[in-house]
Amino acid sequence: MAATPIAITRDNADPEDVAILSAFTLSATFWLLLATAVGLLLSFKFPYPDLATSPFLSFGRLRAIHTNDTFYGWASMALSGAAIYVASRTSGIAIQGKRLAWLSLLFYNLAAICGTITLDLGINYGDQEYREWVWWVRILLMIGIACGLASIIETLRRRVENDIYISNWYTVGGFIFTIILATVAIIPSYQNGLGQVAVQAYFMHNAVGMWFTFLALGVTYYVLPKELNRPIYSYSLGVLAFWTNLVFYPVIGAHHYEYTPLPWWFQTLAIVFSVGMLVPVYAGSSNLLLTMRGRFETIRRSYALPFILIGVSYYFLGSTQGTVEAFRSLQAIWHLTNFTVGHSHATMYGFITFLAWGAVYHLLPRATGKQPSHLFTGMHFWFATIGVTFYVISLSVAGTVQGLAWASGNPFIASVDAAAPYWVGRAVSGSLMLLSHCVFAYNVWIMTFGGSRESAKWEPASRSAVEA
Amino acid sequence: MNRGLNNVWALVAACALVYGTLAILLGVVPGVALSPTPPTPGLRPLDAQEQRGRDIYVGEGCSYCHTQNVRPLQQDLVFGRPSVAGDYAYSTPELLGTERTGPDLSNIGTRQPSDVWQYLHLWEPRAVVSDSVMPAFPWLFQVKDRAGPQDVVVNVPPGFGPKQGVVVATQDAQALVAYIKSLKQVPLTKGASR
Repeated sequence: MAATPIAITRDNADPEDVAILSAFTLSATFWLLLATAVGLLLSFKFPYPDLATSPFLSFGRLRAIHTNDTFYGWASMALSGAAIYVASRTSGIAIQGKRLAWLSLLFYNLAAICGTITLDLGINYGDQEYREWVWWVRILLMIGIACGLASIIETLRRRVENDIYISNWYTVGGFIFTIILATVAIIPSYQNGLGQVAVQAYFMHNAVGMWFTFLALGVTYYVLPKELNRPIYSYSLGVLAFWTNLVFYPVIGAHHYEYTPLPWWFQTLAIVFSVGMLVPVYAGSSNLLLTMRGRFETIRRSYALPFILIGVSYYFLGSTQGTVEAFRSLQAIWHLTNFTVGHSHATMYGFITFLAWGAVYHLLPRATGKQPSHLFTGMHFWFATIGVTFYVISLSVAGTVQGLAWASGNPFIASVDAAAPYWVGRAVSGSLMLLSHCVFAYNVWIMTFGGSRESAKWEPASRSAVEA
Repeated sequence: MNRGLNNVWALVAACALVYGTLAILLGVVPGVALSPTPPTPGLRPLDAQEQRGRDIYVGEGCSYCHTQNVRPLQQDLVFGRPSVAGDYAYSTPELLGTERTGPDLSNIGTRQPSDVWQYLHLWEPRAVVSDSVMPAFPWLFQVKDRAGPQDVVVNVPPGFGPKQGVVVATQDAQALVAYIKSLKQVPLTKGASR
């Protein structure tokens, strides 16, 4: 990233729309910093188990805070704000339902605050990943999601553009799927014992792939062509990926519970569809990569494109890894080990978080007219890229040696001893990731409150947008 | 007027209909079908103290590192027999777990029934397993100058205890140990199956 950055043109955006996008991004950044700081403390508790021994800083409580604040604080807020703003850009009008957008942000924050406090007090809905928040906190989150959806629908309904651009298919879909998913997960009457395991298998996987995947891809389908000033490689591939992801993904949750008493055929079905997931993943990632083909010089000079390149690459790699992990022969060794944690960081961080950053670095400077420094954006990019890559490698190796230690029949503690050096590697790469997030937070501050490069005036006239 | 999915309501309806159907088939139906699974013959529900201990186990997030699912794999048989569906009849919220940083606890009440070991391990895991990375739970204990007649005293080896006084288990610690000791797999009889 040594080349001169490409000059940007400020959007002709309603000042309140700029405020909405900025507020979502600032909130999201706060939760990213908190969730990462918590994650880093957790990583240091492996080499130093007696570090920060307090009920409020204990591993069992903080782990859920780390994951939930990353999911619902950082990624949900960053991508929902981007989705609301992108709906307006692709509709050729300002954000409609502005109050709904603000309400959405308010309820997201209420949920994240209440969720963090209750989890830290040891109050949760079981140690069930990504739905640890108690029911009333999850209702606050659902209200936030519903308000965000309503705001986007309002904008799309009044659009001046003829077509609903494919970005909005993905984001509207993501919001609807997640409301349905959250409703299914919150009703307790049919969730007893093994029945709850089945619902949890369905929930934990869909919460990732029907929410974050759809939002991140949707926003990227807008940002990438704009950055390159070139249409998406194939609209049809995007549509194919949309429908196959929608139909295949819900089936595969049970691959988190292989070799459990869940019906064997139900697990097998999940494995088969995990292979089927290669269709939407390869259609989606190749579509985005082919859109970038031959434009390395543009990528190098852009703020957003390097993040998108890494994000799409991790989408391809992480999802392929997910398919392979689902095979029973490999699960026997890798399941229940740190390999899974490495995989979840390849996807939630390498894929989702990098695409969210790509969206922020594209949308925010164009909305506010304020650019971060070239140097600091480069630092954010390289610290985060090296950090997550080293993280995933460390934990993939840790998981492998754990699984092999169990299979060799040694006492259990041998797997702890075998993984210990790689846990230090994880703490080091985690430190690099937190450092990169501090640089990112500074960049967001500059993009929101820094000195303006130009002073474009907003003209409230409706116009035929050139987007898409 | 817009045609097909260029109408925003058609897009909303298509997404809701397709995913709503899949959510019922893959979330609701399995939940409804498997929830009434009868308990493994001989399995008993938890008593009040064990239930209190289970609530602490859940609140402290123990199952992020300790699974309660013995897989039908050779390397898992050190933890007990392979788990069967009926083992979870009284297990809500479910605690199968997705990570095994520490050992599986499905049958820990049989494998490690010692009160002395369990209390000391919760007070400071490294007092019994030097390489353990488990957190210590000192807030489940009290340090007193002198133990009362009803107190459960933890035998802490030199170097792991307070400089003065004795370590006494709180009601919470006693409940948690009662729950841990209740985790015993019942032997399978003829007719029980996966």
